[in-house]
Amino acid sequence: MSTLTQTSPRPRPRPKKPIGGWRWAGRGILAFLLLFTALPMAWMVITSLKSQLAALQYPPQWWPEEVTFENYILLLSPNNAVGQEFLQYFWNSLYVSILSTILGVAVAVPAAYAFSRFRFPGRQMLFFSVLLRNMFPAVVFLMPLFLMMKWLGLVNTHGSLILTYLTFGLPLSIWLLKGFYDNIPPQLEQAARIDGATRFQAFFYIVMPLSSPGIIATAIYAFIMAWNEYVYALTFLNSKDKLTLPVGLQRFFAEYATNWPGLMAASFIMSVPVVVLFLVLQKYFVRALTEGAVKS
Amino acid sequence: MTIHVAHRSGAMPAPNLRRKPNLFQRILLHWNDYTYIAPALIVMLLVIAFPIYYTVELSFFKTPANLSMDKKIFVGLDNYWAILTSKSFWNVTYNTLIWTVFSTFFAFVLGLGAALALNREFLGRGVLRAVLLVPYVISAVAASYVWKWLYHSDFGVIGALSVQFGFTDRPINFLDNIYTALPAIIVVNIWKEFSFAMIMLLAGLQTVPDQLLRAAQVDGANAWQRFWHVTMPHLKGVSMVTILLLLVTNLNSFIIPWIMTGGGPAGATDIWITQIYQMAFGRIRFGMASAYSVILFIVMMLLGYFYVKALTRGDEAKVE
Repeated sequence: MSTLTQTSPRPRPRPKKPIGGWRWAGRGILAFLLLFTALPMAWMVITSLKSQLAALQYPPQWWPEEVTFENYILLLSPNNAVGQEFLQYFWNSLYVSILSTILGVAVAVPAAYAFSRFRFPGRQMLFFSVLLRNMFPAVVFLMPLFLMMKWLGLVNTHGSLILTYLTFGLPLSIWLLKGFYDNIPPQLEQAARIDGATRFQAFFYIVMPLSSPGIIATAIYAFIMAWNEYVYALTFLNSKDKLTLPVGLQRFFAEYATNWPGLMAASFIMSVPVVVLFLVLQKYFVRALTEGAVKS
Repeated sequence: MTIHVAHRSGAMPAPNLRRKPNLFQRILLHWNDYTYIAPALIVMLLVIAFPIYYTVELSFFKTPANLSMDKKIFVGLDNYWAILTSKSFWNVTYNTLIWTVFSTFFAFVLGLGAALALNREFLGRGVLRAVLLVPYVISAVAASYVWKWLYHSDFGVIGALSVQFGFTDRPINFLDNIYTALPAIIVVNIWKEFSFAMIMLLAGLQTVPDQLLRAAQVDGANAWQRFWHVTMPHLKGVSMVTILLLLVTNLNSFIIPWIMTGGGPAGATDIWITQIYQMAFGRIRFGMASAYSVILFIVMMLLGYFYVKALTRGDEAKVE
């Protein structure tokens, strides 16, 4: 893990050798993948800086002859209809993602702790069912949940999304957090218990603070998944002022069909929060992704 | 181990150690443990267990179009029969197979290549890894629109570039051609998820002991032999998990085909999930769509079995 998390660069004595064919192959792969990854994103940004007329040209302007920020201004200024709509979607996405993340993590923390520490009957079976949830396609849940929301009168409310995002947020959070708790030595709590702490106190005052990196990582992961979620939002919401960004983007595309620069600008704005979160907390994110899968 | 358990759960050790408490007694002994998982359990029953049960139930019924479920009619296995004998099912299954297998294969191979190449210190390694991971974290909806624009039939940059370099004399209409549509969206899928394989395998590579590689080198093994006989065996477990997760993700993927082609042209990119969604919320045939979901669900369970096995290799040993 040390090189992955880059906390302590390990001095590796390497035989001094001329760079061989394999290393060149490695560089070739990396160069190819860098282009493959970055070029589409670069083209998104370049297009978003063009006027509509400039974007619809053949052959394309490889670099905009006239760089304009009009698309971003249009989307982000609350003084026009498009901007109002877009900012509303943005706010809806933020609101739904944050609430469902908090709810999911709050429920998952004690459960994950119990799965990690206690040996109650049914533990294995319950934990397997948590794992198995990852296997179920979202559509298996979509129809019953839609009917359920209809019965509960939650169709076309944000409540329906906050609740249904737990179908993927909760099992994921339990799984990730259990991995983090497994790595905290139980001796710490045992020491606290000997000093007279109750079991809950030991959990709350000793384990919780130690696992805060894990909780942060899990929360980011859950937030990103909720932010990007599309299928439930597409199905449960229908009024314009309720939509979240992914569905709003589609709406935008249907309404302003040829405004590709505007669509690219919207895609860019939508990607900014998750990319920033990811870059700032990359270490935790990578750990969350690979937690559990790699056992040394 | 028994004493350990009793100690942790805060109960006194049982006076008679030879007699094992029965299930009911054990549950009573651990009642406090369940309060920790109770909230999660309730939520899971509500949003996961009930939907699974209800999908299976609905799959045996013909459902009315207004979705008032008290008027549903029991039809037995008719829904399943209708699906399995329809011509479109096998066409869609074929597309699903192509989509899943090719996406998984290339995402894994590219991810493995990237992981091996990144598994040494060099300037800008961290930045490079972060850039490669960006497609994985951004929204699939945004990614689909970006690629839709890249593939655009008149103003798409890919068409323009292939003309520029002289591959074709006019832009190709990738997404409206029954032969190129599926490969085109598979490329997008690979773009989106190869870095997931990369990051998993990169973590797996940390478990390969350096001494072993150096010992192999001293013994005269060349780069390929070191990779095949030392690195690969250590990557076996993580590769299994990665491939299974990719298979599951790809079987479940909806957004890229739905937004980029909507299953078209002429059903060329229709996969199970898009078909089910179309059936349920386009034609409002919940019973039929539920039966379809159950079929998919069975395939998933087979994969799920291997997934849990691969993931809990270490865990089993710890508990026993």
